[in-house]
Amino acid sequence: MPPIVASPTAAESYLWAIILFPLAGAIVNGLIGRRIGKGNVTLIALGAMVGALVVSTIAFTWALQGTVLHFRGDPWIRVAGPDGRALISIGWGLLVDRLSGTMIMVVTGVGTLIHIYSASYMSHEDDTGYARFFTYLNLFVAAMLTLVLGDTLVLTFVGWEGVGLCSYLLIGFWYTDPAKAFAGRKAFVTNRIGDFGFLVGLFALISIFGTASYGDLQAIARSLDPAAAIQVGTFAGRTYQWAITFALLGLFVGACGKSAQLPLYVWLPDAMAGPTPVSALIHAATMVTAGVYLVARNAFLFSLAPAAMATVTIVGALTALFAALIAFVQTDIKKVLAYSTVSQLGFMFIGVGVGAWWAGVLHLVTHAFFKACLFLGAGSVMHGMGDETDIRKMGGLLKKMPHTAATFGIATLAITGFVPLSGFWSKDAILGNALFSHNPAWHQVGEIAYVLGTLAALGTAFYMSRVFFLTFVGKPRTHAAEHAHESSPVMTIPLWILAILSIVATVLALPVHGQLGHLFERFVEPVFAAGTARLLAVEHLHAGEHPAWPYFAAWGVAALGTLVAWTMYAGPALEAPRKLALAFPRLYRFAYDKFRVDELYEFLVIEPLRYLAYILWRIVDVFAIDGLFVNGVARAVGAAGSMFRVAQNGDLQRYAAVMAVAAAVILWTVLGAGGR
Amino acid sequence: MNLLTLVTFLPLAGALALVLVPRDEPGQHRALTLGFSLLTFVLSLGLWFGFDASASAPEFQFEQRLPWIQSLGIGYHVGLDGVALLLVMLTTALTPIVILSAWRAVEERVKEFMIALLVLETAMIGTFAALDLVLFYVFWELILVPMYLLIGIWGSQNRLYATVKFFIYTFTASVLMLLAIIYIYFHDGGTFDYVQARQALQVTPDHARWLFLAFAVAFAVKVPMFPLHTWLPDAHTEAPTAGSVILAGVLLKMGTFGFFRYALPLFPEAALQYRNVIAVLAVIGILYGALMSLVQTDMKRLVAYSSVSHLGFVMLGLVALSAEGLTGSVYQMLNHGVSTGALFLLVGMLYERRHTRLIAEYGGIAKQVPWIATAFVIVMLSSVGLPGTNGFVGEFLILSGTWLSRLGSAPVFATLGALGVILGAVYMLILVERVFFGAMRNPANRALPDLSVREGFVLVPMLVLIVVMGILPGPFLAPAKPAVDRLIGRFQQAEARLGIGPQVGTVTPSVAVRAGAQLPAPTLPIVLPTGGAH
Repeated sequence: MPPIVASPTAAESYLWAIILFPLAGAIVNGLIGRRIGKGNVTLIALGAMVGALVVSTIAFTWALQGTVLHFRGDPWIRVAGPDGRALISIGWGLLVDRLSGTMIMVVTGVGTLIHIYSASYMSHEDDTGYARFFTYLNLFVAAMLTLVLGDTLVLTFVGWEGVGLCSYLLIGFWYTDPAKAFAGRKAFVTNRIGDFGFLVGLFALISIFGTASYGDLQAIARSLDPAAAIQVGTFAGRTYQWAITFALLGLFVGACGKSAQLPLYVWLPDAMAGPTPVSALIHAATMVTAGVYLVARNAFLFSLAPAAMATVTIVGALTALFAALIAFVQTDIKKVLAYSTVSQLGFMFIGVGVGAWWAGVLHLVTHAFFKACLFLGAGSVMHGMGDETDIRKMGGLLKKMPHTAATFGIATLAITGFVPLSGFWSKDAILGNALFSHNPAWHQVGEIAYVLGTLAALGTAFYMSRVFFLTFVGKPRTHAAEHAHESSPVMTIPLWILAILSIVATVLALPVHGQLGHLFERFVEPVFAAGTARLLAVEHLHAGEHPAWPYFAAWGVAALGTLVAWTMYAGPALEAPRKLALAFPRLYRFAYDKFRVDELYEFLVIEPLRYLAYILWRIVDVFAIDGLFVNGVARAVGAAGSMFRVAQNGDLQRYAAVMAVAAAVILWTVLGAGGR
Repeated sequence: MNLLTLVTFLPLAGALALVLVPRDEPGQHRALTLGFSLLTFVLSLGLWFGFDASASAPEFQFEQRLPWIQSLGIGYHVGLDGVALLLVMLTTALTPIVILSAWRAVEERVKEFMIALLVLETAMIGTFAALDLVLFYVFWELILVPMYLLIGIWGSQNRLYATVKFFIYTFTASVLMLLAIIYIYFHDGGTFDYVQARQALQVTPDHARWLFLAFAVAFAVKVPMFPLHTWLPDAHTEAPTAGSVILAGVLLKMGTFGFFRYALPLFPEAALQYRNVIAVLAVIGILYGALMSLVQTDMKRLVAYSSVSHLGFVMLGLVALSAEGLTGSVYQMLNHGVSTGALFLLVGMLYERRHTRLIAEYGGIAKQVPWIATAFVIVMLSSVGLPGTNGFVGEFLILSGTWLSRLGSAPVFATLGALGVILGAVYMLILVERVFFGAMRNPANRALPDLSVREGFVLVPMLVLIVVMGILPGPFLAPAKPAVDRLIGRFQQAEARLGIGPQVGTVTPSVAVRAGAQLPAPTLPIVLPTGGAH
C-alpha cells in the first residue's frame, strides 16, 4: 500500500476514510456506548474526529499544491434503459478541490474542538445520554463530510438529508421536554420543504444535462450557449438559460431551507433547544452553511443564470437585515446568536449571489470560527450560571469568567467588523463586491444588497455589542451572576483556539498587493475561474480595483453600532432601552415576538392543512366513499352479506367449498354463454 | 422436482402436517410452522442465486408446465421473471418473521392460525409464480380465504365489518378480472396460458380498453388506489399484527404486480390511453393518503393510510413507463414490504404490551423502551425515504423516473409526488413524537418492558434489510432489469403499431453527456417476439 502522502492516487483511495472514521465512531458508540463508560465513549468519538482531521489535512495539503483529488467510486444507484442509456447513474465518488478542501478543514477542525468542549459540557449526562450525544455528533460529522465531499448532487443530497436527520436528533436531544421535541420536528419538516426544492432542481438538471456530477455539469455547461433554444426533452422550447434558472431556483429553495433564509428560516432560532455545542457546530459553523456551499459549488451554472443570482442576492440581503432587526430586542443569549447566524448567512448569500464566491466562502470560514466561539462562549456562560440564558439576568461576568469574556469579546469584535479582525475583511469584501456588481437581470440588485447589508451590519454591531455589554460588563444583576464561575480548561482552551483563529484568519483577505494580499481569493480562484470569466464577459463583474471607500464606510458603521450599544447598555444612557420600549410598546412587542412569523405560518399553512386533512377524511373517506358507496352497495347486497356472516364461523372447509362452487358456477355459466 | 413448485407448495405441505399434530400442542404448531417457513426461505434462496438476470436469459425461469384441465386449456404453468422473483423472496423472507412475531400474540386456536398462515404463503407465492391465467386467479382468490379468517377470527373488536368490507371489495373486483380472463380465452385461440395468450390475443382496441379496465379495477382495489382504498384502513386496524404485516408486506404488492405482469403487457395500447388517469389517481393517492395519516388517532390506521400514499408512488412509477420509474416501482414494492411491515411489527409490539393502538395512550416512552424507540426511528426514516435507507432509493428512482419519463406533463406529476415526501415526514415525525417523546404522562406506560430477545430476532432482519437495501441496491435492482426492459419493449412495439411518437422510455437530455462520463457499452438488445394483438 503506498503511503497516503506520497501520491495523489493513494490519497484519493483514502478519501473515504475521512467519512468512515466518524461513521465508525457513531456505529460503535451507538451500539455499545452506553456500556463502556464515558471515558471510552469520548476516546472513540474524539479519536474518530482526529482521524478524520488527519486524513483531511493530507487531502488539503494536496489541494494546497493545486492537485484535485477525485475518487471515482463504484456505482450506487444505476438504472439503464433498454437502449443502455443510464441517466440515473450515481456513484460513490468523492472530490477534494480547494473549495471542498477548505470545507472539510472547517468541519473536521471546528468539529474536533467542539468534540473536546462537549466532553466537559455534556459530562452531567448519564452514560446513555452521553453515548447518545456523541453518537449523533459523530454521525453528523460523517453526514456533513459526505455533503461536502460528494462529487455529485445526489451524494451531496445524501449528506444534506443526513445532517438534517442529525440536526433533528440533536435539537430534540432532551426529548422528554415536548418543546424541544417539537423544535426538532419543526427543523426537520422545514428542511424537508427545502429538500423538495432541491429534488426538483436536481431532476431538472438531470433532464437538461443527463448527469448530476458536478464535474460533468460544468464541463457540459461550458460548451453551451445559454440563449439557444432546447430542442428535446423536458424543457423543449425553452432556452438553456430559462431551464438552468428554473433548476437553480429549485436548488436555492433547498439552500434556503438548510441555511435558514427567508422564508424558511423559522426553524433555526427554535433549534437552540439543542445542547449548546450542537448550536455551535451544526447551527452556526457547519450545517447551516451547506446552502452557501451548494451555490458556490455550482458557481459556473449560476453564472449562466443571472436571474437566479439576483434571487440569491436579494433573499440574502433581506434575510440579513430582517434577522438583525429581530435580534435587536431578544433577551435570550442563544436566540440572539441564532438570529445573528441567520443574518450572517444572509451576508454569505449576498457574496455568492453577486459573484464574489470567494468572499461568500471566506465569510463562511471566518464565521465558523467566531460564531462557534460565541456559541461555545454562551455555553460556558450558561454553565457558569446554572443554565441561565436570559442576558437581563447576567452582567459583570467579566471578572468571574475572564477567559470566556475575553474570547467572547474577541469574537464579538470579529463579527461586528472591527478592524482588523477577520469578520471585517470577509464581510466588507462581500459588501464591496456587491456594490460594484451589475447583474444583467437586475442591475440595481447589487446596490440594493449593499444598502440592506450595510444596515444589517450596523444592526449586527449594535446587537452583538449589546449582548456583550449586558452579559459581561456592569454589575451582576442576579444572585446567579454574582456566583458565576469560570468553566474548566477543557472548555476554555477550545474557546481560545477559536478566538485566535478569528484573529489569524485576517491574513486570508488582506486587500494589499503582493504575496500576502488576497490569499484566499487567489487560493480558491481555480474553482471559480470559469464562473468569474463568464461574469466578466457579461459585465456582471468588472475587472480591476474597486475604490476603497466602502471599507472605510464599513469601519465607521461598525464603530457607530458598537458606540450606540455602549451608550445604551454600558455607558451614560442606561435608561434609554427601557424608555424606548415604553415609548413604542407595540413595535417593541412586535419585534420581541419575532414579527409573529411563526404565528403567520401557523395561520396560513399549518392550520388550513390540518383542517383540509380532517375535512377530507370525514367527507370523502367516511361519508362519500364508505357511507354512500361501499356501505350502500353492501346494503344492496345485504343477502350476500348475511351469507358471508353465516360462512364466517371459522370453518375453513365450508368456506372453501362455497368458494369453489361459486367459482365453478360462474365459470360454467360464462363458458356456456360463450357458445362452446 | 421443480424448485419453484417445491417452494410454492412446501408451506401447504406444512399446513397438512400441522393437521396431524394434536390441537393441544401449541408449542409444536409454532415450531413446526416456523420450521416449514424457514425451510421454504432456504429453498427460495436457491431461486435467488439460480436466477440469471442477463439480457439473454429466458424471460421466465424455473418454468414448469403440466397438463391440468386440458379440455379447457387450463394448465399448471409456473415460472419467474425478475420482478416475481423479488416478490417471492419478499414473501418467503417475511413469513418466518411474521410467524415469530405471533409467537406470544396468538394464544387461541394456534393450530388454525398457523395453518392459515402457511396456506396464505403458498397462495402468495403461487400468485407470483403462476403463468396460467386460471392458475393465477385460483391463487389470487385462495388468498382471500386465510386472510378472511385471520381478520375475522383473530382480529379486534370491529372485525366483522372489516372482513365483510374487505371481502366485498376484493371479491367484486376480482369477478371483473375473471370475466376478462374468460373473454381472453375466447380470443387467443383457446388457452389460458399467459405466455401464449400474450402473443396470440386478438381483440379490437375497444374491447382491449374494457379488458384493461377490468384487470385494472381488480388490481387497483388490491393496491389500493384512491378512491378504492377504504377497505384498507379497516382491514389493517382490525387484523392481528401478523395479518397486517402480510397484508401490507405482500398482499398490496399483488395489485401492483398485477399491473406489471398482466394489465400493462397484455393491453399496452389501452394502458397508454389510461396512463394519465392512473397517474392522476396515483398522485392523488400520494397526497390524500398522507393527509389522511396526518389526522389519524390510531397508530395502525395511520400506517394504513401511509400505505395508500406509498403505493401511490409505486403506481406513479409504473405508469411513468420509464426504466427508472419502473425499476423504482419494483424497488418500492420491496421497500414498502420491509418498512411498513416493520412498522406494523413495532406497532404490534406496543399493542401486545398495552392493548391499545391509540396514539394518545402513549407519549414519552422512549426512556422506558429505548431499543423499541431506536428501531422505530430507523424504520420511520426508511418510511420517509431518508438517504441511506431503502426508501430513498425507491422514491428517488420513482420521482426522477417520472420527471424523466414521456408521460404527459411529467414534471408536474413528479413535483406533486415530491410534495408527498414533505407530508410523509410530517405525519411520521408526529407519530414518533407523540408516542416516544415528551413527558411520560400515562402511568400505565411506566413498566413497559423493552425488546425481548425474540422480538429482537423479528426486528433485526428488517433493520438490516433497510440499511443494506439503502446502501447496496445493486443486487436487488439487477433481477428487475430484464423484466423492465421487456415491458418497455412491448410498449415500444405498441407505439410502432399505433404509429405514434415515443410515449414510453426515458427522455433524451437536452444536451448529450460528453466530457468525463463514459457511456457503458450498450447491452444486447432483448429480442422480443413480434406479432401480438391487432
